[in-house]
Amino acid sequence: MALEVRELSKRFAGLVAVAAVSFTVRPGEILGVIGPNGSGKTTLLSMMAGLLPPTSGSVIWKGREIQALRPDIIAGLGVVKTFQNPQLFAELSVFDNVRVASHLALKRALGLRRGLELLGAARAVEKQLARRVSEVLALCNLDGAAGQLAGNLSYGEEKMLGIAMALMCEPELLLLDEPASGLGRDEIRNLEEVLVKLHAAGTTLCLVDHKIGFLRGLAHRVIALNHGEKIAEGAPESVLNDPAVVEAYLGTGHAHA
Amino acid sequence: MIAQALLWGVLYALPLFVRSDFLLTIFIFTFIYGILAVTFDLIFGFTGQLSMFHPAVFGVSAYMTYLLASQYKLPFWVATVPSALTAVVLAVVVGSICFKFRLKTFYFAVVTLAFAEMIRLVVMNWNSLTNGTLGLVVSGKPTIYWPGSGVVAIRGPIAWYYLTLACLSVTVLICARCLRAWMGRCFGAIRLNEDLARTLGINVFRYKLLAFAIGNALASFAGGLYGYYTGYIDPGYLGINQSMEILAMVLLGGQGTLLGPIVGSFVLTGLPHAIDLRAEIRAILYGAILIFTILAMPRGIVGTLGAWKARRGP
Amino acid sequence: MTQLVLGQVLNGAIIGAMYGIIALGITLTFGITGIVNFALGEFMMIGAYATYALAERGGLPYPVAVVPACLIAAAAGYLSNKAFFRFTRNNLVNGLLVSIGLISIFESASMLLWTATPVEMHFVLPGALRVGNIGLPKMKLVVFAVIVVVIVATYFGLARTWLGRAAFAYAQNPEAAMLMGVHTPRMETTVMLYSTGLAGLGGALYASLYSLEPAMGGVYVLKGMEAAILGGIGSLMGALWGGVILGVIEAVGSIFLPTAFRDAYGLAVLVAILLFRPSGLFGDE
Repeated sequence: MALEVRELSKRFAGLVAVAAVSFTVRPGEILGVIGPNGSGKTTLLSMMAGLLPPTSGSVIWKGREIQALRPDIIAGLGVVKTFQNPQLFAELSVFDNVRVASHLALKRALGLRRGLELLGAARAVEKQLARRVSEVLALCNLDGAAGQLAGNLSYGEEKMLGIAMALMCEPELLLLDEPASGLGRDEIRNLEEVLVKLHAAGTTLCLVDHKIGFLRGLAHRVIALNHGEKIAEGAPESVLNDPAVVEAYLGTGHAHA
Repeated sequence: MIAQALLWGVLYALPLFVRSDFLLTIFIFTFIYGILAVTFDLIFGFTGQLSMFHPAVFGVSAYMTYLLASQYKLPFWVATVPSALTAVVLAVVVGSICFKFRLKTFYFAVVTLAFAEMIRLVVMNWNSLTNGTLGLVVSGKPTIYWPGSGVVAIRGPIAWYYLTLACLSVTVLICARCLRAWMGRCFGAIRLNEDLARTLGINVFRYKLLAFAIGNALASFAGGLYGYYTGYIDPGYLGINQSMEILAMVLLGGQGTLLGPIVGSFVLTGLPHAIDLRAEIRAILYGAILIFTILAMPRGIVGTLGAWKARRGP
Repeated sequence: MTQLVLGQVLNGAIIGAMYGIIALGITLTFGITGIVNFALGEFMMIGAYATYALAERGGLPYPVAVVPACLIAAAAGYLSNKAFFRFTRNNLVNGLLVSIGLISIFESASMLLWTATPVEMHFVLPGALRVGNIGLPKMKLVVFAVIVVVIVATYFGLARTWLGRAAFAYAQNPEAAMLMGVHTPRMETTVMLYSTGLAGLGGALYASLYSLEPAMGGVYVLKGMEAAILGGIGSLMGALWGGVILGVIEAVGSIFLPTAFRDAYGLAVLVAILLFRPSGLFGDE
């Protein structure tokens, strides 16, 4: 299933954050979105996940327009986004954080019959979900920290927890907002492993980052933004060498003809 | 877990040891207010919504239960059902408005308070129905079917003790089941980080409304019990003082727990009577206890005990 | 008919000013120190009874009695803050509970001192001013004028002076304010002293018009809270406007609709405002 972004724009009282951006995320691919700070990458992603209403344009997923839908509905449709600054339930343990994220999985497994859980009649499904939580934690290398309070984690662990929670939602398309920022080299390698495994299992990924090196090895295609506009699109190497892109990052004078 | 079982065991066995009617009466009020406090905590301590609406359903159901029972010659229990349904309707209407507009904690409290006050004014002035500020005298007793004796009226401290304790137990059981299930996880998520909960697929509006509706529906039973036990209903049931009382019980006992509100209810119900002084002095002590507790034990009695136990290790 | 409406509007405005001075105390306290002082009505009660004691029992002329009354209320406010309120900064629920406790304490103490029987002061300024066919008691006009002057003076005092700017800096960011030389505990104390003193003044003025009883504070703190929210928490002039508007709504509502539901009219407007414009009429978005 493809996600299509069509002429998507966002203005904030005079400031144009995203200007008529159009592209498609092809099923099964890893799409990278690059651009210098302030180029509108996070705003774009937020609109795709329903966290921000666009000023104009539309986001189409599986044939229907989703830009005006609530975030929880969009998550239920298979599009899940992680946060650049990790959002957690600080007072809960790592395990419980991911357990909360199993809400969608429970809905899909039982539907309205999840009411049976109140009567203690859904034990099998509960156990199954608990197992899934452990699996996801192991995948993200957080199984050692499962009992710790989320508020006590290191920054790198917090980011992985954010990804673990997103994974628990069984996304078809995972939008990652600067997943590598603030991470050390080992942590980035770990992150890459997780994302590759995820992609191999069939999840489509759309990553935003301004670390070019990180995307270079991972992405199949890349689009570049600057000042809210799309300035390049294509294979990673061609986009990264595109004069317009180089200029955006390094300023005029560095672009080669 | 064991401590909890022990506590309930003691409570159920109490009348075997305690003969004092006075003491039993304190427990009866503790249990009735306990229902209010526990259900309030479901909405506030667990879901994070500071509701000032409890007195409204408490009072409305007190009136409704008695009026239906006396007008239509219904048994107490049958009359509590429409009252509970009314509580649900009120909660859904008020809750929908509040949650649709995404009111923040303080403003949610203010709006629920405003609605409760408006309902109180209606009750107070609907003289033909409620007898206004003069209140209603409740004649009659709840009846239950006791195998072997047939239909028995609840009369006397011991019967009331067990009746109210049973109602409290059922309330706690229902709340506990909700909290242990996926519902409870949603409530907690909403309390801790609403926006994150949304991105994980939780319909925040729906679950806030659910907590609000369940809490108010269960609280309505306390209204019927209180009216029949004290034998008198007046518009004061719907007053702001009730909200303050309930909030104080929950905070004193420990918010975010199911036992805390009951402990708080016991302390605040029993303490004024334990001090054999003038009413004004008792009130001053009451105020002092509130202030001391919230400043010295912000997590309440149960909360502080729990934290202390956790620190001592397994 | 217009006479009736006009008369009610004026009466409502005067009562509203009383709401406004409490609202100012609430908005100042919460806006600058982040403390929710729900017990402000008690300081009003203290000021009222102190005025009564000094003027009726002590024989002081009314205007002379007002000043020490305000100081007594402010002193009570200082003690309450020093002992309790300052620990509830930015904590709504704790502040609420401390307030409930203080209300219980102050009200009971007042009951012990004065009993529940209402007391009254003799007429301070008898006579009424005639405006057309409407008679407005002179004392009510004086009360109104005093309150408006005090609120406006507070506004200009905060907007134009160093103290005021410091207060706003503290409200935004206490740590940064502290680094810039604003003495933060003193700032908090000053605000508490002033707001409770204001409430005391409200009480002193109230005493000249109405009879007093220990529970009088309860209603006014609720109205004050309503007015503060209506005008927009944090807006000083909003406190006055919120109070006056609330008073007028209640008064005018009582003309066309049953008086028994007087309080409900203000509440209904409050709910509407909170739903569609939560920052209040004059608050910043």
